[in-house]
Amino acid sequence: MRPDPFAPGDDLALAERLVRFGRSCGADEIEVGIGEGEEFSVDVRMGQIENLVEAGSRYAGIRVIKDKRTAFASSSDMSEEALERLIRNAVKRAGLSQPDPFAGLADLSPIRIDPDALDIFDPEVIELEAKTKIRLALETERIALADKRISNSHGAGFSSHAARTYLAASNGFAGTYAKTFCGLGVGLQAGETDDLVEDDWHSSRIHFRDLESPEQIARTAVERTVRQLNPRKLGTRRVPVIFEPQMTGSLLGFLFGCISGTAVYQRSTFLADRLGQKIGRDELTVIDDGLMPRRVGTGPFDSEGIPAQRTVVVDHGVLKRFLCNTYASRKLGLPVTGNADGGGVGPNNFFLEPGPHDPAAIIRSCDRALLLIRTLGHGLNAVTGDISRGAFGLWIENGEIVYPVSEITIAGNLGDVLQSVEMIGSDLDFRSSIAGPTIKVAEMLVAGS
Amino acid sequence: MLSPAFDIRQRFGLDAAGLRSVLDAALASGGDFAEIFLEYREYRSAFMEEDILKDTSESFSLGLGLRVWAGETTGYGYTNDLSMDKILRTARAASAVASSGRTIPALDLRLQEGGADVYRVIRPPDQAPFETKIALVREAYEACREFSPLIKKVKAAIQDQVQFIAVANSEGLLAIDRRPLVKLTCVGIAEKDGKRESGYSGGGGRVGWEHFAGPTSPAAIGREAAREAVELLDARDAPAGEMPVVLAPGHAGVLIHEAVGHLLEADFVRKKTSVFWNKSGRKVGSPAVTIYDDPTIPASRGSYAIDDEGTIPQKTLLIEKGVVRGLLQDKLCAKLMNRSLTGHGRRQDYTDYPIPRMANTYIDRGEDDPADIIRSVRKGLYAERFTGGQVEDSGKFTFSVSSGYLIEEGRLTAPVKQATLIGSNVDILKKIEMVGSDLAFGLPTGTCSKEGQDVPVNDGCPTLKISLMTVGGK
Repeated sequence: MRPDPFAPGDDLALAERLVRFGRSCGADEIEVGIGEGEEFSVDVRMGQIENLVEAGSRYAGIRVIKDKRTAFASSSDMSEEALERLIRNAVKRAGLSQPDPFAGLADLSPIRIDPDALDIFDPEVIELEAKTKIRLALETERIALADKRISNSHGAGFSSHAARTYLAASNGFAGTYAKTFCGLGVGLQAGETDDLVEDDWHSSRIHFRDLESPEQIARTAVERTVRQLNPRKLGTRRVPVIFEPQMTGSLLGFLFGCISGTAVYQRSTFLADRLGQKIGRDELTVIDDGLMPRRVGTGPFDSEGIPAQRTVVVDHGVLKRFLCNTYASRKLGLPVTGNADGGGVGPNNFFLEPGPHDPAAIIRSCDRALLLIRTLGHGLNAVTGDISRGAFGLWIENGEIVYPVSEITIAGNLGDVLQSVEMIGSDLDFRSSIAGPTIKVAEMLVAGS
Repeated sequence: MLSPAFDIRQRFGLDAAGLRSVLDAALASGGDFAEIFLEYREYRSAFMEEDILKDTSESFSLGLGLRVWAGETTGYGYTNDLSMDKILRTARAASAVASSGRTIPALDLRLQEGGADVYRVIRPPDQAPFETKIALVREAYEACREFSPLIKKVKAAIQDQVQFIAVANSEGLLAIDRRPLVKLTCVGIAEKDGKRESGYSGGGGRVGWEHFAGPTSPAAIGREAAREAVELLDARDAPAGEMPVVLAPGHAGVLIHEAVGHLLEADFVRKKTSVFWNKSGRKVGSPAVTIYDDPTIPASRGSYAIDDEGTIPQKTLLIEKGVVRGLLQDKLCAKLMNRSLTGHGRRQDYTDYPIPRMANTYIDRGEDDPADIIRSVRKGLYAERFTGGQVEDSGKFTFSVSSGYLIEEGRLTAPVKQATLIGSNVDILKKIEMVGSDLAFGLPTGTCSKEGQDVPVNDGCPTLKISLMTVGGK
């Protein structure tokens, strides 16, 4: 047995007591989640500590159902008096909602996943001394600023977080698990005041030992920043676009919003009627997997107590599944997938399976193309699938990067993009819970001068 | 009416002597300044879709944030356990940044009188029964649904909160505020021939229930969401490339927020990461451009009587006839830059330390007739509704147009959808060549994100003509 400085406390007993209290107040069904967390973060800039935060907190989230009518409540006032008042109010308030045949807690699953097997708690994250964390942040910034091409720093930071989740419900579910996160990163600027470029690089992991080193982070941040210096504008044209892994991640985030069961029953997604249909190239397989050990999106159960699972969402281009919490699954007559997140649906580890291509070979394969490195703005419309965003990129000619471009926009439609992914890179790296490798899209509209 | 001192004791279990002893503890190992931020918030919401009132929600938030300065370093701790033992532990955690051993005693607390008179509440949001709110949601929902048979889905929601804050610091300041905030929103989805579009509208502010009458009635909000969705069904894709752009009054204020406001927040200027850092007193825009941020506009979503550091806010001139005149300050930046406070220190909640933020940002009215502005464009884009924007410190920004019209030969013609406008602020300010006389504010439902902290804001502008701008259409 490893020592566990973040051992389960009494909050599972509190949650179970509140469930019994809710039932005694007249709730047909009740679910109580309690979260407690400890946070540390340090920001440094120009070699000095700017901010240091150390804190702990607890909160409770409650769902009550009476006569198929639902009421929610939450509190960071954890006195039992306040929590009991909230539950009494919620039971009373449920009467104001209208009966909904699909309302209700999840069906209790016989499957239980052992949190230890998922390896999502690293005691080292908690045991790290503050001065070590400060040193890592200072070192990352120092290495980056040593590069003469860098003109200013947004600062570097280290943060760590340890959280324990408790969930008890009147369907008989009771469970708890602990999870850690840590992150190290730096943001930089290069260039003159009126012609600045900026970028950053972060590493964020469950285990301290999986973090990138200060050298790796600083070097990547520097390279990403300076490669944008002296950008040109582009004339408006249709060209192939290569998405760097983070940009593929952002595209997948948009896809997630379009295949979430909530969006589907609300008909606020262009993919609502496409289940079972071919929506992309044969090479495209997209998976949501809550069971991958040591990953940021991993956990033994979701916010309704449904066990985590692996779900193939897009299988060789065919849309196989929508990701559903219990409510969406009942509305749509589809299986639950362990993606309940508060009142809605959230990703576990949602990713595009890597392909055979070396990212450098993808660049070499293009005569003229845009390598998309960053986007700005909010132009993603799930209802239509339309994409229209501000963009920063590198222009490619004859298989080589020739100069950076900025003040352009890229536009297209997610449906068209999925149908025109021509090459998939081998460089999948789980930097966050939504991840993808480099991809090449046959054509998008790039607008500039 | 209860006394403020009673309110603090009642809500947080602390009296003036208790606050003072926490401040003393926070400064025990040195440091220049200590501050306690106490917050109690009640939040309620109701949500309707698929013709039924689907659920309601109620939330209590209670907590304390403790800040200590030592030189330029901030130590911060927070807790939602308000036992004296836990508060003192939080004070020690925040004071870990100080080790000078020099001790500055905290001054006795004196309650600050007054503050901007901005809240316009006859029927307080937190005191109405849920039935009242549900009736408003239903009215918006039904008006949207009934607008057209093409409307297939509607979502309507109401959210109200009251936030009680108290700020006490080692300089002897004790300030309290009780902030109401209400928001009613509606989304309609229209479908025709397999095509789908959505429309959005909303209302609210630092107001009471009486606000939802007349032109700001829930029915008007519901109809507007439906109108936008239905109109977009027949809209064509926006043209792409560089062209003159006319921004409609009100909603386009988000451009001023992104392109100017963020870059005049004092922290970015102090760190020289803002493109404006060396431009104080210098001309950056056309003489038609005057920009303010005003946290004291009555009833407005971005307003407050005191900021989250207890400072009484002021209407702040940012750009006067094209020349940079002011910055948005919080206490830390004002101290380090030796400038006066403007009352723009804001935080999302007790878990965050304050940073300089916008409140209600707007470009002031000009002298041009809006009709003349449109008439002056031979071929361009009239941008009417926006879904949001983003800027980076370098001044490059984008914002998303959800709907607008083509301008052809000085007239608005076909409706267009989904365009992205992109530019850089130093460039755009020079290209604002006409400013209308019709200043208006956007939908009072906006939220601004910075460093992971969300705060309510509003922004506005009159009709504006930008001589040339990059439009990304399809």
